Amino acid sequence: MTTLHQHELETIDVNVNMGPQHPSTHGVFRMVLTVDGEKIEDVTPHIGYMHRGAEKLSENMDYRQGLGYHDRTEYLAQFHAELCYVEAIEKLAGIQVPERSQYIRVILSELNRITSHLMFMGAFGVDSGIFGTTFTYAFREREAVQDLFEEITGDRLMYAYFRPGGVAWDVPENFVERVHDCLGHARQAIKDVDDLLTQNEMFIARTRNVGVISQEDAIDWGLTGPMLRATGFKWDLRKEEPYCIYDRFDFDVPVGEQGDCYDRYRVRLEEMRQSVRIVEQAVKEFPEGPILPEKMSRRLRVPAGEVYGRVEAPRGEYGVYIVSQGGEKPYRLKIRASCFSNLMALRDMTVGGYVADAVMVLGSTDIVLCEVDR
Amino acid sequence: MSEQEKTPKPDTGGTPAPGKGAEASAFPSGTIYDVFKEALPGVAFEPAQGASEVILHFPVSDLTKVCRAAKDDPRLDMKFLRFLTAVDYMDEGMDLVYQLWSYTRKHGVTLKTRIPADNLRAPTVTNVWRGADWHEREAAEMFGITFEGHPNLVPLLLPEDMTDHHPLRKDVPLAPIEEWQAERLESSAGVIEEVVEELQRRGRLATVDTEAPDAAEGEEA
Repeated sequence: MTTLHQHELETIDVNVNMGPQHPSTHGVFRMVLTVDGEKIEDVTPHIGYMHRGAEKLSENMDYRQGLGYHDRTEYLAQFHAELCYVEAIEKLAGIQVPERSQYIRVILSELNRITSHLMFMGAFGVDSGIFGTTFTYAFREREAVQDLFEEITGDRLMYAYFRPGGVAWDVPENFVERVHDCLGHARQAIKDVDDLLTQNEMFIARTRNVGVISQEDAIDWGLTGPMLRATGFKWDLRKEEPYCIYDRFDFDVPVGEQGDCYDRYRVRLEEMRQSVRIVEQAVKEFPEGPILPEKMSRRLRVPAGEVYGRVEAPRGEYGVYIVSQGGEKPYRLKIRASCFSNLMALRDMTVGGYVADAVMVLGSTDIVLCEVDR
Repeated sequence: MSEQEKTPKPDTGGTPAPGKGAEASAFPSGTIYDVFKEALPGVAFEPAQGASEVILHFPVSDLTKVCRAAKDDPRLDMKFLRFLTAVDYMDEGMDLVYQLWSYTRKHGVTLKTRIPADNLRAPTVTNVWRGADWHEREAAEMFGITFEGHPNLVPLLLPEDMTDHHPLRKDVPLAPIEEWQAERLESSAGVIEEVVEELQRRGRLATVDTEAPDAAEGEEA
């Protein structure tokens, strides 16, 4: 009798396609879930829907033209991607960047980290079922910072504002006031999101102990950024290998404990507070002066050599590897996308969980698929 | 026609081809090169200094041994593979590039090994760092390299049926439209600067900068 009973309940594994146009995939991403009932047995991610060959194109145009591809690659943390690219070129060509431009870069990058994390907060809130509330609260304040970016750079998303040697043009006269204004909005957004999510029972139920990854696995898969820090591993390129002028500022590196979705959220929330701290310090000592070096040739020629520039972008380590043979074009340009590596661990984080958890895991990696596909 | 076909012959520039041992003796001590020499006495490393990292060239036959030691040897302890990729030198072969970092020792290195153009094969390192998985798949489809022992070497970013060429190779040209755009950009590079100069000379650019927004708003109202 028991055997017959078991036989009747025997189930077969079903393959379920999630994406490419699923709202929770935050872009064009498909994963094939092998499910046994509600349990995930296996996951096969499929990427490449947005592959545009940014590396190949960059190798066929000069260094200045190639800048735009980094905005389009990392379209939520454009300033970080630009900073990485221009710093790599500056290192290779030995260009000194004036103080004022360094400060502009840090201020804008950190504000950009806040807007990027607010995007995550909004979207993650929606993923977890807190419908729209966090999204609208986070986006209301994010818009104020976005307006500042638009005012300075002239573009809402594709800034192309950092240039090898400095920035494209000077910031408006009321820049410091405007930044203070933005910081007010950022503080409000952090408070709102914190109030809405951190103690929210529904949110905690959806994220605690979901998508856990151990520290060893995280390092082995090459995870970086909040994904790595959520496992309790204290690593931030701004502290460990300071670039730009980050060594001048006082800030903490928040870490999680368990490496689950909730910790990833908490790390990002705290990072926004630290970004506010950095911007506060930076605007206090914001210097006057030139924005480009005195001697900048119109045609940028880079000597032969190779460099791997990297920055701590909101999603982890964004890197640009350039092999130059001299001249105006890179011989080889490789973009190390943070999400590309972070997404590789998706299988480890989802197998054994429920289908609904897969949405949370994907949301908590904060993927930007243009960056994954490049 | 691609850019590389126009230029006569790519010289190896900052990346010396394997076989040139002259730099090795002059290489300064106290770098990661010393640790690699100590940990792997049997491997013929050729060091070079990059703008950010020390670059170590070594024969591809030692690839697995070097990568294993780089990860497991406590003196090196490079648990983090930042990325791996390839650089095409056409007839001279391809360089495989491994960018490594040690979180505990806080040192990094660029490992490079040359594979011949007529035999684009290398052992996989997915059994050393699992994170090499997608990087190898990408390098395989973009350059046509076979990573022996890779568990699932299928196309990652490119369409499954795009097997006739490997886009990141230097002999693969851009699409004609992109070639055309690049040429246009090149030929117009001076034109924009001339226009800006002319405007500045006439004092027009300053007025455009400060007055135009207000004037435009006034007109709308």
